[in-house]
Amino acid sequence: MTRDLDAHAAKIGKQDKIATGILTLIVGLVLALLAAIVVYILFQGLGKMLTPGFLTNSPLDDENPGISFELFDSFYMLLWTLLFSVPISLGAAIFLVEYAPENWVTAAAKTAIETLSSLPSIVVGMFGSLFFVVVCNFHVSILSGALALTMFNIPILVRTIQQALEDVPRSQRDASLAMGLTRWETTTKILLPAAMPAIVTGVVISAGRVFGEAAALIFTSGSAPARLNFASTNFGSPTNPWNIFRPAETMAVHIWKLRMEPSQGNDVIAWGCAAMLMICILLFNVLARVLGKALAKKMTAE
Amino acid sequence: MTNTRDIILTTEDVTVTYGTHEALHPTNLTFAAGEVTALIGPSGCGKSTFLRCLNLMNREIPHCAVGGHINYHGHDINTPKENLYELRKSIGMVFQQPTPFRKSIRENILFAPKRHGRIRSKEQADELVETSLKQAALWDEVKDKLDRSAYALSGGQQQRLCIARTLAMKPDVILYDEPCSALDPLSTMSVEETIRDIASTGICEAIVTHNMEQATRVSDRTAFFYVGDMVETGPTKQIFSNPKDQKLVDYLTGRFG
Repeated sequence: MTRDLDAHAAKIGKQDKIATGILTLIVGLVLALLAAIVVYILFQGLGKMLTPGFLTNSPLDDENPGISFELFDSFYMLLWTLLFSVPISLGAAIFLVEYAPENWVTAAAKTAIETLSSLPSIVVGMFGSLFFVVVCNFHVSILSGALALTMFNIPILVRTIQQALEDVPRSQRDASLAMGLTRWETTTKILLPAAMPAIVTGVVISAGRVFGEAAALIFTSGSAPARLNFASTNFGSPTNPWNIFRPAETMAVHIWKLRMEPSQGNDVIAWGCAAMLMICILLFNVLARVLGKALAKKMTAE
Repeated sequence: MTNTRDIILTTEDVTVTYGTHEALHPTNLTFAAGEVTALIGPSGCGKSTFLRCLNLMNREIPHCAVGGHINYHGHDINTPKENLYELRKSIGMVFQQPTPFRKSIRENILFAPKRHGRIRSKEQADELVETSLKQAALWDEVKDKLDRSAYALSGGQQQRLCIARTLAMKPDVILYDEPCSALDPLSTMSVEETIRDIASTGICEAIVTHNMEQATRVSDRTAFFYVGDMVETGPTKQIFSNPKDQKLVDYLTGRFG
Protein backbone atom coordinates (compact mmCIF):
# COMPACT_ATOMS: atom_id res chain seq x y z
CA MET A 1 0.00 0.00 0.00
CA THR A 2 2.67 2.50 0.99
CA ARG A 3 4.70 1.48 -2.02
CA ASP A 4 1.70 2.25 -4.26
CA LEU A 5 1.37 5.67 -2.65
CA ASP A 6 5.07 6.39 -3.07
CA ALA A 7 4.93 5.41 -6.72
CA HIS A 8 1.86 7.57 -7.17
CA ALA A 9 3.55 10.55 -5.50
CA ALA A 10 6.64 10.10 -7.66
CA LYS A 11 4.49 9.97 -10.79
CA ILE A 12 2.63 13.12 -9.84
CA GLY A 13 5.88 14.89 -9.04
CA LYS A 14 7.25 13.98 -12.44
CA GLN A 15 4.10 15.17 -14.26
CA ASP A 16 4.21 18.42 -12.32
CA LYS A 17 7.84 19.00 -13.37
CA ILE A 18 7.10 18.29 -17.04
CA ALA A 19 4.04 20.56 -17.13
CA THR A 20 5.86 23.40 -15.36
CA GLY A 21 8.79 22.96 -17.72
CA ILE A 22 6.59 23.23 -20.83
CA LEU A 23 4.79 26.33 -19.52
CA THR A 24 8.08 28.00 -18.61
CA LEU A 25 9.36 27.26 -22.11
CA ILE A 26 6.27 28.82 -23.72
CA VAL A 27 6.53 31.98 -21.62
CA GLY A 28 10.25 32.13 -22.38
CA LEU A 29 9.54 31.90 -26.12
CA VAL A 30 6.99 34.71 -25.96
CA LEU A 31 9.40 36.94 -24.04
CA ALA A 32 12.22 36.10 -26.45
CA LEU A 33 10.02 36.95 -29.42
CA LEU A 34 9.06 40.30 -27.91
CA ALA A 35 12.66 41.08 -27.03
CA ALA A 36 13.77 40.11 -30.54
CA ILE A 37 11.27 42.49 -32.16
CA VAL A 38 12.18 45.37 -29.86
CA VAL A 39 15.91 44.83 -30.21
CA TYR A 40 15.71 44.41 -34.00
CA ILE A 41 13.70 47.62 -34.51
CA LEU A 42 15.95 49.58 -32.17
CA PHE A 43 19.02 48.14 -33.90
CA GLN A 44 17.68 49.17 -37.30
CA GLY A 45 16.24 52.52 -36.37
CA LEU A 46 17.72 53.94 -33.17
CA GLY A 47 20.81 55.30 -34.97
CA LYS A 48 18.68 57.26 -37.43
CA MET A 49 16.22 58.32 -34.72
CA LEU A 50 18.97 59.88 -32.65
CA THR A 51 20.52 61.68 -35.62
CA PRO A 52 20.35 65.41 -34.92
CA GLY A 53 17.45 66.95 -36.76
CA PHE A 54 15.54 63.73 -37.44
CA LEU A 55 12.83 64.46 -34.89
CA THR A 56 12.79 68.19 -35.53
CA ASN A 57 13.28 68.56 -39.29
CA SER A 58 10.46 68.76 -41.79
CA PRO A 59 9.93 65.68 -44.00
CA LEU A 60 10.24 68.04 -46.96
CA ASP A 61 13.77 69.11 -45.98
CA ASP A 62 15.97 68.39 -49.01
CA GLU A 63 19.20 67.71 -47.19
CA ASN A 64 18.16 65.95 -44.04
CA PRO A 65 14.44 65.05 -44.05
CA GLY A 66 12.99 64.41 -40.60
CA ILE A 67 9.63 63.41 -39.18
CA SER A 68 8.65 66.48 -37.16
CA PHE A 69 5.31 66.94 -38.96
CA GLU A 70 4.45 63.25 -38.62
CA LEU A 71 5.32 63.36 -34.94
CA PHE A 72 3.07 66.37 -34.42
CA ASP A 73 0.26 64.91 -36.52
CA SER A 74 0.37 61.60 -34.65
CA PHE A 75 -0.17 63.31 -31.30
CA TYR A 76 -2.66 65.82 -32.68
CA MET A 77 -4.70 63.05 -34.30
CA LEU A 78 -4.59 61.10 -31.03
CA LEU A 79 -5.80 64.13 -29.10
CA TRP A 80 -8.89 64.53 -31.29
CA THR A 81 -9.58 60.80 -31.33
CA LEU A 82 -9.57 60.71 -27.53
CA LEU A 83 -11.69 63.87 -27.33
CA PHE A 84 -14.32 62.10 -29.45
CA SER A 85 -14.06 58.54 -28.22
CA VAL A 86 -13.62 58.88 -24.43
CA PRO A 87 -16.88 60.76 -23.68
CA ILE A 88 -18.91 58.56 -26.04
CA SER A 89 -17.44 55.34 -24.64
CA LEU A 90 -17.87 56.52 -21.07
CA GLY A 91 -21.53 57.32 -21.69
CA ALA A 92 -22.15 54.02 -23.47
CA ALA A 93 -20.41 51.98 -20.78
CA ILE A 94 -22.28 53.73 -17.96
CA PHE A 95 -25.56 53.14 -19.74
CA LEU A 96 -24.83 49.48 -20.39
CA VAL A 97 -23.65 48.73 -16.84
CA GLU A 98 -25.98 50.90 -14.77
CA TYR A 99 -29.11 51.68 -16.73
CA ALA A 100 -29.72 49.28 -19.60
CA PRO A 101 -32.63 46.93 -18.92
CA GLU A 102 -31.85 43.24 -19.29
CA ASN A 103 -33.49 42.58 -22.66
CA TRP A 104 -32.65 41.65 -26.22
CA VAL A 105 -31.83 45.24 -27.23
CA THR A 106 -29.09 45.43 -24.61
CA ALA A 107 -27.84 41.98 -25.54
CA ALA A 108 -27.75 42.99 -29.20
CA ALA A 109 -25.86 46.18 -28.35
CA LYS A 110 -23.28 44.23 -26.37
CA THR A 111 -22.81 41.74 -29.22
CA ALA A 112 -22.53 44.60 -31.71
CA ILE A 113 -19.79 46.22 -29.65
CA GLU A 114 -17.89 42.96 -29.44
CA THR A 115 -18.19 42.43 -33.19
CA LEU A 116 -17.11 45.97 -33.90
CA SER A 117 -13.99 45.48 -31.79
CA SER A 118 -12.77 42.80 -34.18
CA LEU A 119 -13.62 44.74 -37.34
CA PRO A 120 -10.50 44.99 -39.55
CA SER A 121 -9.16 48.53 -39.38
CA ILE A 122 -8.85 48.77 -43.17
CA VAL A 123 -12.62 48.24 -43.34
CA VAL A 124 -13.13 50.97 -40.76
CA GLY A 125 -10.95 53.14 -43.02
CA MET A 126 -13.07 52.35 -46.08
CA PHE A 127 -16.25 53.12 -44.20
CA GLY A 128 -14.65 56.34 -42.97
CA SER A 129 -13.66 57.39 -46.47
CA LEU A 130 -17.18 56.79 -47.72
CA PHE A 131 -19.07 58.25 -44.81
CA PHE A 132 -16.93 60.98 -43.25
CA VAL A 133 -14.96 62.03 -46.33
CA VAL A 134 -17.68 61.78 -48.99
CA VAL A 135 -21.12 61.78 -47.37
CA CYS A 136 -20.35 64.20 -44.54
CA ASN A 137 -18.04 66.11 -46.87
CA PHE A 138 -15.27 66.49 -44.27
CA HIS A 139 -12.72 65.79 -47.05
CA VAL A 140 -9.49 63.92 -46.42
CA SER A 141 -8.71 65.55 -43.12
CA ILE A 142 -7.71 65.20 -39.50
CA LEU A 143 -11.40 65.32 -38.62
CA SER A 144 -12.24 62.37 -40.90
CA GLY A 145 -9.20 60.46 -39.64
CA ALA A 146 -10.01 61.11 -35.99
CA LEU A 147 -13.63 60.05 -36.54
CA ALA A 148 -12.52 56.80 -38.22
CA LEU A 149 -10.13 56.15 -35.33
CA THR A 150 -12.99 56.93 -32.93
CA MET A 151 -15.03 54.15 -34.55
CA PHE A 152 -12.03 51.89 -34.20
CA ASN A 153 -11.42 52.87 -30.57
CA ILE A 154 -14.96 52.98 -29.15
CA PRO A 155 -15.59 49.20 -28.92
CA ILE A 156 -12.37 48.55 -27.03
CA LEU A 157 -12.87 51.52 -24.73
CA VAL A 158 -16.49 50.63 -23.98
CA ARG A 159 -15.41 47.11 -23.02
CA THR A 160 -12.60 48.33 -20.76
CA ILE A 161 -14.75 50.94 -19.02
CA GLN A 162 -17.60 48.45 -18.68
CA GLN A 163 -15.20 46.01 -17.03
CA ALA A 164 -13.83 48.72 -14.74
CA LEU A 165 -17.33 49.68 -13.59
CA GLU A 166 -18.40 46.08 -13.10
CA ASP A 167 -15.30 45.45 -10.99
CA VAL A 168 -16.41 48.02 -8.38
CA PRO A 169 -17.87 45.85 -5.59
CA ARG A 170 -21.67 45.68 -5.62
CA SER A 171 -21.60 46.65 -1.97
CA GLN A 172 -20.36 50.17 -2.83
CA ARG A 173 -23.33 50.69 -5.13
CA ASP A 174 -25.77 49.27 -2.55
CA ALA A 175 -24.33 51.36 0.27
CA SER A 176 -24.77 54.53 -1.74
CA LEU A 177 -28.31 53.68 -2.88
CA ALA A 178 -29.23 52.74 0.69
CA MET A 179 -28.32 56.27 1.75
CA GLY A 180 -30.95 57.71 -0.53
CA LEU A 181 -28.64 58.70 -3.36
CA THR A 182 -29.95 58.44 -6.88
CA ARG A 183 -28.48 56.13 -9.45
CA TRP A 184 -26.82 59.06 -11.20
CA GLU A 185 -25.26 60.39 -7.98
CA THR A 186 -24.09 56.88 -7.17
CA THR A 187 -22.53 56.52 -10.61
CA THR A 188 -20.77 59.86 -10.74
CA LYS A 189 -19.74 60.21 -7.10
CA ILE A 190 -19.03 56.63 -6.05
CA LEU A 191 -18.58 54.27 -8.99
CA LEU A 192 -16.61 56.48 -11.38
CA PRO A 193 -14.04 57.56 -8.76
CA ALA A 194 -13.63 53.95 -7.66
CA ALA A 195 -13.23 52.77 -11.26
CA MET A 196 -11.02 55.68 -12.31
CA PRO A 197 -7.61 53.95 -12.03
CA ALA A 198 -8.77 51.13 -14.30
CA ILE A 199 -10.45 53.56 -16.69
CA VAL A 200 -7.34 55.73 -16.98
CA THR A 201 -5.17 52.68 -17.60
CA GLY A 202 -7.59 51.48 -20.28
CA VAL A 203 -7.72 54.87 -22.02
CA VAL A 204 -3.93 55.18 -22.14
CA ILE A 205 -3.47 51.64 -23.47
CA SER A 206 -6.12 52.27 -26.13
CA ALA A 207 -4.24 55.47 -26.96
CA GLY A 208 -1.21 53.35 -27.76
CA ARG A 209 -3.28 51.26 -30.14
CA VAL A 210 -4.72 54.34 -31.87
CA PHE A 211 -1.29 55.96 -32.05
CA GLY A 212 0.12 53.09 -34.10
CA GLU A 213 -2.88 52.64 -36.41
CA ALA A 214 -2.24 53.14 -40.13
CA ALA A 215 -4.85 51.29 -42.19
CA ALA A 216 -7.85 53.27 -40.93
CA LEU A 217 -6.11 56.55 -41.79
CA ILE A 218 -4.82 55.97 -45.31
CA PHE A 219 -8.18 56.75 -46.90
CA THR A 220 -9.41 59.24 -44.32
CA SER A 221 -6.62 61.61 -43.34
CA GLY A 222 -4.30 61.00 -46.28
CA SER A 223 -0.78 59.78 -46.75
CA ALA A 224 0.95 62.85 -48.11
CA PRO A 225 3.16 64.69 -45.66
CA ALA A 226 1.40 67.88 -44.77
CA ARG A 227 3.20 71.17 -45.24
CA LEU A 228 2.92 72.74 -41.84
CA ASN A 229 3.72 76.28 -40.89
CA PHE A 230 3.83 76.62 -37.12
CA ALA A 231 3.89 80.39 -37.41
CA SER A 232 0.55 80.46 -39.20
CA THR A 233 -2.29 82.23 -37.47
CA ASN A 234 -4.87 81.58 -40.19
CA PHE A 235 -6.83 78.66 -38.76
CA GLY A 236 -8.53 77.98 -42.08
CA SER A 237 -5.26 77.50 -43.92
CA PRO A 238 -4.24 73.95 -44.92
CA THR A 239 -0.77 74.69 -43.58
CA ASN A 240 -1.99 75.69 -40.13
CA PRO A 241 -1.08 72.80 -37.83
CA TRP A 242 -4.19 73.23 -35.66
CA ASN A 243 -6.67 73.23 -38.56
CA ILE A 244 -8.61 69.98 -38.32
CA PHE A 245 -9.86 70.24 -41.89
CA ARG A 246 -6.39 69.77 -43.38
CA PRO A 247 -4.93 66.41 -44.45
CA ALA A 248 -2.38 64.86 -42.12
CA GLU A 249 0.09 62.01 -42.12
CA THR A 250 0.87 60.15 -38.92
CA MET A 251 4.10 58.26 -38.21
CA ALA A 252 2.47 54.88 -38.85
CA VAL A 253 1.11 56.01 -42.22
CA HIS A 254 4.48 57.58 -43.02
CA ILE A 255 6.21 54.23 -42.55
CA TRP A 256 3.70 52.58 -44.87
CA LYS A 257 4.16 55.35 -47.45
CA LEU A 258 7.96 55.15 -47.37
CA ARG A 259 7.91 51.39 -47.80
CA MET A 260 5.64 51.81 -50.82
CA GLU A 261 8.33 53.91 -52.49
CA PRO A 262 11.44 51.91 -51.66
CA SER A 263 14.79 53.62 -51.80
CA GLN A 264 17.89 53.55 -49.64
CA GLY A 265 17.07 56.88 -48.02
CA ASN A 266 13.40 56.07 -47.48
CA ASP A 267 14.19 52.76 -45.77
CA VAL A 268 16.45 54.41 -43.24
CA ILE A 269 13.81 57.03 -42.43
CA ALA A 270 11.13 54.32 -42.13
CA TRP A 271 13.22 52.44 -39.57
CA GLY A 272 13.94 55.60 -37.62
CA CYS A 273 10.23 56.38 -37.62
CA ALA A 274 9.42 52.81 -36.52
CA ALA A 275 11.83 53.08 -33.59
CA MET A 276 10.25 56.37 -32.51
CA LEU A 277 6.74 54.95 -32.85
CA MET A 278 7.62 51.89 -30.80
CA ILE A 279 9.27 53.92 -28.06
CA CYS A 280 6.18 56.16 -27.85
CA ILE A 281 3.89 53.13 -27.51
CA LEU A 282 6.12 51.55 -24.86
CA LEU A 283 6.01 54.85 -22.99
CA PHE A 284 2.20 54.86 -23.23
CA ASN A 285 2.11 51.44 -21.60
CA VAL A 286 4.49 52.47 -18.83
CA LEU A 287 2.46 55.65 -18.32
CA ALA A 288 -0.75 53.60 -18.09
CA ARG A 289 0.67 51.47 -15.31
CA VAL A 290 2.19 54.35 -13.39
CA LEU A 291 -0.92 56.53 -13.61
CA GLY A 292 -3.25 53.66 -12.70
CA LYS A 293 -1.17 52.68 -9.68
CA ALA A 294 -0.76 56.27 -8.49
CA LEU A 295 -4.50 56.93 -8.72
CA ALA A 296 -5.39 53.68 -6.95
CA LYS A 297 -2.94 54.46 -4.17
CA LYS A 298 -4.25 57.99 -3.78
CA MET A 299 -7.80 56.75 -3.38
CA THR A 300 -7.28 53.82 -1.05
CA ALA A 301 -4.70 54.98 1.45
CA GLU A 302 -3.73 58.56 0.53
CA MET B 1 -43.47 45.48 25.45
CA THR B 2 -44.39 46.71 21.97
CA ASN B 3 -47.70 48.01 23.27
CA THR B 4 -46.04 50.72 25.28
CA ARG B 5 -43.72 51.85 22.49
CA ASP B 6 -44.44 53.66 19.24
CA ILE B 7 -44.86 51.35 16.30
CA ILE B 8 -42.66 52.56 13.44
CA LEU B 9 -42.93 49.78 10.86
CA THR B 10 -45.39 46.98 10.26
CA THR B 11 -45.43 44.52 7.42
CA GLU B 12 -48.71 43.00 6.25
CA ASP B 13 -48.48 39.83 4.17
CA VAL B 14 -45.18 40.91 2.61
CA THR B 15 -43.97 38.49 -0.07
CA VAL B 16 -40.91 38.50 -2.31
CA THR B 17 -40.89 36.80 -5.72
CA TYR B 18 -37.96 36.35 -8.06
CA GLY B 19 -39.53 35.74 -11.44
CA THR B 20 -42.02 33.01 -10.56
CA HIS B 21 -40.29 31.73 -7.43
CA GLU B 22 -41.70 33.00 -4.14
CA ALA B 23 -38.65 33.42 -1.93
CA LEU B 24 -40.58 34.88 0.97
CA HIS B 25 -44.10 33.81 1.90
CA PRO B 26 -46.55 36.27 3.49
CA THR B 27 -44.83 37.78 6.51
CA ASN B 28 -46.33 39.94 9.24
CA LEU B 29 -44.03 41.69 11.67
CA THR B 30 -44.02 44.83 13.78
CA PHE B 31 -41.04 47.03 14.65
CA ALA B 32 -41.14 49.57 17.47
CA ALA B 33 -39.06 52.61 18.36
CA GLY B 34 -36.15 51.93 20.71
CA GLU B 35 -36.29 48.21 20.08
CA VAL B 36 -33.89 45.83 18.38
CA THR B 37 -35.48 42.98 16.44
CA ALA B 38 -33.29 40.04 15.43
CA LEU B 39 -34.11 38.06 12.30
CA ILE B 40 -32.62 34.59 12.61
CA GLY B 41 -32.71 31.34 10.67
CA PRO B 42 -30.56 29.09 8.50
CA SER B 43 -28.94 30.34 5.26
CA GLY B 44 -31.40 30.96 2.45
CA CYS B 45 -34.39 31.22 4.79
CA GLY B 46 -35.43 34.67 3.52
CA LYS B 47 -34.34 36.79 6.47
CA SER B 48 -32.05 39.07 4.44
CA THR B 49 -34.57 39.17 1.63
CA PHE B 50 -37.18 40.35 4.11
CA LEU B 51 -34.83 42.96 5.59
CA ARG B 52 -34.16 44.37 2.13
CA CYS B 53 -37.89 44.93 1.67
CA LEU B 54 -38.00 47.40 4.53
CA ASN B 55 -36.00 50.10 2.74
CA LEU B 56 -37.14 48.96 -0.70
CA MET B 57 -33.61 47.82 -1.61
CA ASN B 58 -35.15 44.85 -3.42
CA ARG B 59 -36.24 47.34 -6.06
CA GLU B 60 -32.59 47.45 -7.19
CA ILE B 61 -32.69 43.77 -8.15
CA PRO B 62 -34.12 42.96 -11.59
CA HIS B 63 -37.08 40.55 -11.69
CA CYS B 64 -37.64 40.91 -7.95
CA ALA B 65 -41.19 41.80 -6.89
CA VAL B 66 -42.36 42.68 -3.39
CA GLY B 67 -46.02 42.12 -2.51
CA GLY B 68 -48.14 43.11 0.48
CA HIS B 69 -48.10 46.29 2.53
CA ILE B 70 -45.20 47.86 4.40
CA ASN B 71 -46.55 50.53 6.72
CA TYR B 72 -44.03 53.11 7.80
CA HIS B 73 -45.52 55.56 10.30
CA GLY B 74 -48.90 54.28 9.20
CA HIS B 75 -48.48 54.85 5.49
CA ASP B 76 -47.86 52.15 2.90
CA ILE B 77 -44.45 52.54 1.26
CA ASN B 78 -44.71 49.49 -0.99
CA THR B 79 -46.26 51.46 -3.84
CA PRO B 80 -44.68 52.47 -7.14
CA LYS B 81 -45.24 56.12 -6.22
CA GLU B 82 -43.10 55.97 -3.08
CA ASN B 83 -40.02 58.19 -3.35
CA LEU B 84 -37.20 55.72 -2.60
CA TYR B 85 -34.63 58.44 -2.23
CA GLU B 86 -36.63 60.29 0.41
CA LEU B 87 -37.50 57.07 2.23
CA ARG B 88 -33.92 55.85 2.46
CA LYS B 89 -32.87 59.03 4.21
CA SER B 90 -34.91 57.91 7.22
CA ILE B 91 -34.44 54.13 6.92
CA GLY B 92 -30.71 53.45 6.97
CA MET B 93 -28.92 50.21 6.20
CA VAL B 94 -25.61 48.66 7.27
CA PHE B 95 -24.26 45.78 5.22
CA GLN B 96 -22.44 42.52 5.82
CA GLN B 97 -19.07 43.69 4.55
CA PRO B 98 -17.95 47.11 5.79
CA THR B 99 -18.51 49.36 2.76
CA PRO B 100 -16.73 52.65 3.37
CA PHE B 101 -16.45 54.81 0.26
CA ARG B 102 -13.00 55.50 -1.14
CA LYS B 103 -12.91 58.83 0.63
CA SER B 104 -11.67 60.29 3.91
CA ILE B 105 -13.38 59.44 7.20
CA ARG B 106 -14.92 62.91 7.30
CA GLU B 107 -16.15 62.69 3.70
CA ASN B 108 -17.68 59.28 4.34
CA ILE B 109 -19.91 60.84 7.02
CA LEU B 110 -20.68 64.04 5.13
CA PHE B 111 -21.14 62.54 1.67
CA ALA B 112 -24.85 61.78 1.79
CA PRO B 113 -25.94 64.75 3.97
CA LYS B 114 -24.10 67.04 1.55
CA ARG B 115 -25.75 65.47 -1.48
CA HIS B 116 -29.10 65.90 0.24
CA GLY B 117 -28.33 69.57 0.83
CA ARG B 118 -28.42 69.37 4.60
CA ILE B 119 -25.03 70.89 5.30
CA ARG B 120 -25.16 74.67 5.52
CA SER B 121 -21.91 75.59 7.27
CA LYS B 122 -18.52 74.25 8.25
CA GLU B 123 -19.51 74.33 11.93
CA GLN B 124 -22.61 72.27 11.24
CA ALA B 125 -20.52 69.78 9.25
CA ASP B 126 -17.93 69.43 12.01
CA GLU B 127 -20.66 68.98 14.61
CA LEU B 128 -22.41 66.32 12.56
CA VAL B 129 -19.14 64.40 12.08
CA GLU B 130 -18.42 64.55 15.82
CA THR B 131 -21.87 63.55 17.07
CA SER B 132 -22.24 60.75 14.53
CA LEU B 133 -18.83 59.30 15.34
CA LYS B 134 -19.48 59.61 19.08
CA GLN B 135 -22.80 57.81 18.74
CA ALA B 136 -21.03 54.99 16.89
CA ALA B 137 -18.30 54.93 19.59
CA LEU B 138 -15.60 55.70 17.06
CA TRP B 139 -14.79 59.32 17.86
CA ASP B 140 -11.96 58.72 20.32
CA GLU B 141 -10.19 56.39 17.93
CA VAL B 142 -10.34 58.60 14.84
CA LYS B 143 -10.69 62.21 16.00
CA ASP B 144 -7.09 63.00 15.05
CA LYS B 145 -7.21 61.47 11.61
CA LEU B 146 -10.54 62.53 10.15
CA ASP B 147 -8.96 63.39 6.82
CA ARG B 148 -7.22 60.05 6.40
CA SER B 149 -8.69 57.43 4.10
CA ALA B 150 -11.43 55.26 5.58
CA TYR B 151 -9.51 52.29 4.21
CA ALA B 152 -6.77 52.89 6.77
CA LEU B 153 -9.20 51.75 9.51
CA SER B 154 -9.57 48.20 10.80
CA GLY B 155 -12.58 46.11 9.74
CA GLY B 156 -14.46 46.78 12.99
CA GLN B 157 -13.72 50.49 12.80
CA GLN B 158 -14.87 50.56 9.17
CA GLN B 159 -18.14 48.94 10.17
CA ARG B 160 -18.68 51.46 12.98
CA LEU B 161 -17.87 54.20 10.45
CA CYS B 162 -20.64 52.79 8.26
CA ILE B 163 -22.98 52.95 11.25
CA ALA B 164 -21.88 56.53 11.97
CA ARG B 165 -22.43 57.41 8.33
CA THR B 166 -25.95 56.02 8.56
CA LEU B 167 -26.61 57.89 11.82
CA ALA B 168 -25.52 61.14 10.17
CA MET B 169 -28.65 60.86 8.02
CA LYS B 170 -30.76 61.13 11.23
CA PRO B 171 -32.80 58.02 10.46
CA ASP B 172 -35.44 56.59 12.78
CA VAL B 173 -34.91 53.04 11.51
CA ILE B 174 -31.59 51.25 10.94
CA LEU B 175 -31.39 47.86 9.26
CA TYR B 176 -28.33 45.65 9.75
CA ASP B 177 -27.61 42.78 7.36
CA GLU B 178 -25.27 40.44 9.29
CA PRO B 179 -23.12 43.41 10.31
CA CYS B 180 -20.57 41.37 12.29
CA SER B 181 -20.06 38.34 10.10
CA ALA B 182 -16.81 39.74 8.69
CA LEU B 183 -15.51 40.93 12.08
CA ASP B 184 -13.38 39.45 14.86
CA PRO B 185 -14.92 38.90 18.34
CA LEU B 186 -13.65 42.17 19.87
CA SER B 187 -14.93 44.28 16.96
CA THR B 188 -18.18 42.34 17.12
CA MET B 189 -18.57 43.28 20.78
CA SER B 190 -18.06 46.96 20.12
CA VAL B 191 -20.52 46.92 17.22
CA GLU B 192 -23.11 45.16 19.40
CA GLU B 193 -22.66 47.75 22.15
CA THR B 194 -23.11 50.47 19.55
CA ILE B 195 -26.35 48.87 18.36
CA ARG B 196 -27.69 48.76 21.95
CA ASP B 197 -26.69 52.39 22.57
CA ILE B 198 -28.46 53.48 19.41
CA ALA B 199 -31.64 51.67 20.47
CA SER B 200 -31.57 53.53 23.77
CA THR B 201 -31.88 56.81 21.85
CA GLY B 202 -35.24 55.65 20.51
CA ILE B 203 -34.20 54.47 17.06
CA CYS B 204 -35.89 51.33 15.74
CA GLU B 205 -33.42 48.64 14.64
CA ALA B 206 -33.60 45.28 12.89
CA ILE B 207 -30.62 42.96 12.60
CA VAL B 208 -30.20 39.86 10.48
CA THR B 209 -27.82 37.41 12.11
CA HIS B 210 -26.95 33.74 11.90
CA ASN B 211 -25.26 34.00 15.28
CA MET B 212 -27.80 33.01 17.97
CA GLU B 213 -25.67 34.31 20.85
CA GLN B 214 -25.60 37.65 19.09
CA ALA B 215 -29.38 37.63 18.83
CA THR B 216 -29.71 37.01 22.59
CA ARG B 217 -27.14 39.69 23.44
CA VAL B 218 -28.42 42.44 21.23
CA SER B 219 -32.14 42.06 20.57
CA ASP B 220 -35.42 42.67 22.40
CA ARG B 221 -37.51 40.66 20.00
CA THR B 222 -36.65 37.81 17.64
CA ALA B 223 -38.27 36.43 14.51
CA PHE B 224 -37.31 32.98 13.21
CA PHE B 225 -37.37 32.34 9.44
CA TYR B 226 -37.30 28.94 7.79
CA VAL B 227 -37.41 28.28 4.00
CA GLY B 228 -39.20 31.50 3.19
CA ASP B 229 -41.58 31.41 6.13
CA MET B 230 -41.58 33.54 9.23
CA VAL B 231 -42.23 30.65 11.60
CA GLU B 232 -42.23 32.19 15.06
CA THR B 233 -41.75 35.58 16.66
CA GLY B 234 -41.80 36.97 20.18
CA PRO B 235 -39.65 38.54 22.89
CA THR B 236 -36.08 37.24 22.52
CA LYS B 237 -36.05 35.69 26.01
CA GLN B 238 -39.16 33.70 25.25
CA ILE B 239 -37.95 32.56 21.81
CA PHE B 240 -34.73 31.16 23.23
CA SER B 241 -35.99 29.79 26.55
CA ASN B 242 -39.41 28.58 25.50
CA PRO B 243 -39.56 27.95 21.74
CA LYS B 244 -42.85 26.50 20.49
CA ASP B 245 -42.34 25.47 16.87
CA GLN B 246 -40.46 22.19 16.37
CA LYS B 247 -38.31 23.67 13.58
CA LEU B 248 -37.19 26.47 15.89
CA VAL B 249 -36.40 23.92 18.61
CA ASP B 250 -34.33 21.93 16.12
CA TYR B 251 -32.53 25.06 14.94
CA LEU B 252 -31.75 26.23 18.47
CA THR B 253 -30.44 22.82 19.50
CA GLY B 254 -28.17 22.79 16.46
CA ARG B 255 -29.86 20.02 14.53
CA PHE B 256 -29.43 22.10 11.38
CA GLY B 257 -27.81 25.40 10.67
